[in-house]
Amino acid sequence: MLWSRRSVFLGLLLGGPVVLAAAIRIVTATTSLWRLSINGARVGGPALFGMMMWLLYIRFIVPVLGVFYGTSLIADEVDDKTITYLFTRPVPRGAILIGKYLAYVACTTLLVLPSVILVYFLVVPLGGGSIGESFPALLEDLGMLIVGLIAYGAVFAWVGARLKRPLVVGLVFAFGWEPAVLLFPGYLKQVTVAYYLQALVPHAMPQDSAVSILMQMFREVPPVATSLTYLAVIVAIALWFAARAVELKEYVLEQ
Amino acid sequence: MPIHDQGYRRYLGGRAPRGRAWVVIASAGVRTLLGKRAFLGLLLISWLPFFVRAVQIYAAANLPQAAFLAPTPLMFRQFLEQQEIFVFFITVFAGAGLIANDRRANALQIYLSKPLTRAEYVFGKLAILTTFLLLVTWVPAFVLLVVQVAFAGNFTFFVSNIYLFPAITVFAFLQVVTVGAAMLALSSLSNSARYVGILYAALLFFSQALFRVLQFVTGNTSLSWISLPFDLSQLGDAIFRLPLRYDTPWVLSLVAIVALVVAAGLVLERRVRGIEVVA
Repeated sequence: MLWSRRSVFLGLLLGGPVVLAAAIRIVTATTSLWRLSINGARVGGPALFGMMMWLLYIRFIVPVLGVFYGTSLIADEVDDKTITYLFTRPVPRGAILIGKYLAYVACTTLLVLPSVILVYFLVVPLGGGSIGESFPALLEDLGMLIVGLIAYGAVFAWVGARLKRPLVVGLVFAFGWEPAVLLFPGYLKQVTVAYYLQALVPHAMPQDSAVSILMQMFREVPPVATSLTYLAVIVAIALWFAARAVELKEYVLEQ
Repeated sequence: MPIHDQGYRRYLGGRAPRGRAWVVIASAGVRTLLGKRAFLGLLLISWLPFFVRAVQIYAAANLPQAAFLAPTPLMFRQFLEQQEIFVFFITVFAGAGLIANDRRANALQIYLSKPLTRAEYVFGKLAILTTFLLLVTWVPAFVLLVVQVAFAGNFTFFVSNIYLFPAITVFAFLQVVTVGAAMLALSSLSNSARYVGILYAALLFFSQALFRVLQFVTGNTSLSWISLPFDLSQLGDAIFRLPLRYDTPWVLSLVAIVALVVAAGLVLERRVRGIEVVA
């Protein structure tokens, strides 16, 4: 999974925040050009780290990795016409998907977490922030990111196993359906992963745009235990359907 | 048993004039996409905001209680902004595989062995994407302008905002060409349409997220030029004569977009070749 040219994308995606954090650290340490502020009020490194977690990791990197790797678990094998070799082995078809899914979780987790930790150590000391004080929040962040990768990966593994062209559906779900539904009051937001995942975030949601302010207005935060339970149910159901789709579906290889 | 002549026969079909071969690629691509029900569904959904706006204009023109809904130049700008999400989905659906699928099937060599230049090939592919993107940006915005005149029964709004038609046209074409060039360049970089789609999503959303972080750090919005969607927003405001939303001068946003299109052109020049010479 990692030894391919596509890993360049993964490297850029996860290296981007680290490079940005390093640049911010260098510029703020050597010049007075940049000052961390919200509405003119000075803030510290922990607030900047919280914002980077929201904007870069929770809203973008975790869903994108889920879409990219989740949808390609089976679709890549179909595109490369190698799925036949897997299906001729004496292994249940569903087990192949689950095995590939676990590989996805292991790989992405082992790459995302170091990126977050590097950003944490680069950014949190800025403006007098204390690494020790905010360390428990970092652990919560890491746990939340793992849960997010697991949940999004499972949902998009199902989409990838079920549909012939899963990418558009995945992008519509991650960047169309979820942000839109979170803006509305009511029950609709409960049909998203983001609703439960955002309840696990220990940082305040940034109000960086009109959409974010609306989101903040209609934001209901379910209890952590409830969120974890729902996410576990989502993962179990999505993986069951994904495995069932792989068992039953006849994949037609394009000539 | 008849014996058919299997010998050489001259081509008796029509021959496209030089420089028109791109039309064949474009029309074939458009037909292929129109044959996909999922894509037609996406196009239909993309037109929903148009119908909402049409109802708004109708209500403002006919119901005195709804006069506050009267159309303004800002409404047309907001309409084009609302269409951005559909532009994204249509670009990914229609554009991701345009060159990537040909590379995957090794069809590029076959294409370019015909009387077809590389420029015609690229232009044909670009025409497919721009056709559908204009169908959800320029066409509905222009029709909205017509709807306004029809429902109001006069040309007062149209004449007092005479710059709206050129503004809609310039912005829609700028947006479509920029997005189309970026997607084609990405499509030429890989054999996998799925990978291209994700790269394009990253180009858009990741640059937006980076800008938001930098906005937080710098305390102003002067770095909005790093994000393609924000460059287009800034230029859109300038074209529609609205107050600019970011501190970046609109000229800088234009330079960023031109640089992106030029870079896309260079990538396409390098990647769209009949043969790859390996040194």
